[in-house]
Amino acid sequence: MNPQDLLQLFDDRALAAVAPLLALAIGIIVLLLSGVIRAFESLRAPIVVATLAFTGWLVASNFATVPGSVIDGTYIADRASSAWGLLFVVATLLAWLFSHRYYAESERPFQVEHDVLMLTTPLGMMLMAGAANLIVFFIGLEVLSIPLYALASFRRSRARSVEAGLKYFLLGAFAAAFFLYGSSLIYAATGSLQLAEIKAIGLHGPLALGGVALVMASLFFKISVFPFHLWVPDVYQGSPTPVTALMATGTKAAAFAFLINTMFMLPKSAALAVAVVALVTMALGNLGALAQTDVKRMLAYSGIAHAGTVLLVVAGTLAGDPESSGALHAALFYMGAYVFTAAGAFGLLALLERDGERFTTLEALKGLAQRRPFVAAALTIFMLSLGGMPLTGGFLGKWMVFSSLVRAGLIWPAVVGALLSVIAFGYYLRVVIALYMQPVSERDAALPSGQTSAGSAAPAAIAAAVCAVLVLVMGTLPGLFLDRLP
Amino acid sequence: MLKDYAPLIILLLVVGGFAVVNILASDVLGGKRRSIGKGNAYECGMTPQGDARIRLSIHFYLVAVLFILFDVESIFLIPWAVAAKSFTAAGVGGIVFAEVVLFVVVLGAGLAYVWRKGGLDWDR
Repeated sequence: MNPQDLLQLFDDRALAAVAPLLALAIGIIVLLLSGVIRAFESLRAPIVVATLAFTGWLVASNFATVPGSVIDGTYIADRASSAWGLLFVVATLLAWLFSHRYYAESERPFQVEHDVLMLTTPLGMMLMAGAANLIVFFIGLEVLSIPLYALASFRRSRARSVEAGLKYFLLGAFAAAFFLYGSSLIYAATGSLQLAEIKAIGLHGPLALGGVALVMASLFFKISVFPFHLWVPDVYQGSPTPVTALMATGTKAAAFAFLINTMFMLPKSAALAVAVVALVTMALGNLGALAQTDVKRMLAYSGIAHAGTVLLVVAGTLAGDPESSGALHAALFYMGAYVFTAAGAFGLLALLERDGERFTTLEALKGLAQRRPFVAAALTIFMLSLGGMPLTGGFLGKWMVFSSLVRAGLIWPAVVGALLSVIAFGYYLRVVIALYMQPVSERDAALPSGQTSAGSAAPAAIAAAVCAVLVLVMGTLPGLFLDRLP
Repeated sequence: MLKDYAPLIILLLVVGGFAVVNILASDVLGGKRRSIGKGNAYECGMTPQGDARIRLSIHFYLVAVLFILFDVESIFLIPWAVAAKSFTAAGVGGIVFAEVVLFVVVLGAGLAYVWRKGGLDWDR
């Protein structure tokens, strides 16, 4: 390649497109160095916040100016990927706020490493959402996954946490191998790794379809869809709660962003199969959640059910939803509401764990409304939104998903999906009942409190409050968000 | 199209057959004189002692990771050094040099972090 051509790849548009990635990378390095330079110790939190804020601003300006497809068509910074990018930045910021003072004294020395790893994840997520090339996506996937493996087992003195990290790592490595094998088959069939070229050539024949199946399997693993959902409860329960919040929101949103971009790979005739997979996922998630007594594990199962719901939009598009960007809008709004709801719910659990409530079981939540009315109220809002109660963001997300199905003519999957969502209230409302209508259990009151709080809980509390307000705003004034959808 | 691959398939068969025939032939034709010395893991050098499954210090792992890191650095730097003159001739030498400096600075930051964290102290 001519050196001049190399430079032309990195024109102003390309620079604007990757500016958020560069900002994050610089922030990560500075934060890492602040871990070993004593004078910078007090600057650590400002560095994280400034990096995320600046990245968010760059992404927002990309949303306005739209640099488009850059660097030989391997990366796209359009309105959709910028909207996803904003979501990733917010999800990371929330998870980081909830991790503030969450860890026990013995784990604090590694707080900088924790923050560095957390700050690395949105870099991977943005690469995934903006990838227009299978290899670029793979790099994003790894940049996201490797820090998460380490974060999942961050409480290394706890067997549960180490187990979560190991399970996630082994299964994640398999999923990554599936993806690579799948893309190699797609390359063999089409001679290209660029999504646009693959779309133009079309995927026909057993070789290409085998590749698509493998790529989809690895994506389904990341979004935790049947039959690749079995790792979720163990990993979500064992990981530190702020990390779980990040995994449940950011990772899932990033994988969905790429899934929406690669829907064209699936044959049109797969619509019904995808719908059935989505419905089975919803059923398994909801039935699993009904049996749980640990709220964190219950939320993990509910996350599986939510992934199934969002997957329905893929079925809708394949079946011929007349609105071309219906799937993107529904997925964006649904995941937007889900980020605030799930991050808020997991964040409150983290707050409770930290404040010596030790256990995240339903038993421990009994009568919480008397002790901590605000926490109980916020948790109620999150539970209702997860269930899809009108006036919360969760309801409108579900409405958009099911209306996409109805437009595409998939009536019975929409009906079954709606019914399955109603089942979900069975366990969401159990939490609310425990909070408000049951007395503190005596067994629990007698137990000594767990790790004691040190320092202010203000960042986490403010983050939870902002989440609760945003969930309500998304439900009552959805126009604020819907008008800005790409 | 499959016909074009015929030489390749023949080559694979020949290679595979050659290996199998050689191993079988040496096993059938070769004489065998078994002794304790030949049964050892190594025919020469020190006699192995104890169990192979012992715990190794985590430092070995750390050093290996650091080695790979800076090994990869040199892998990137050598092609740049070879191509540097053509970049300068094309009038973009400054920018490409700045990029390489950036790359080294990022790795240097990593080294500084490892150093300060005590990753290079063997006795810790």
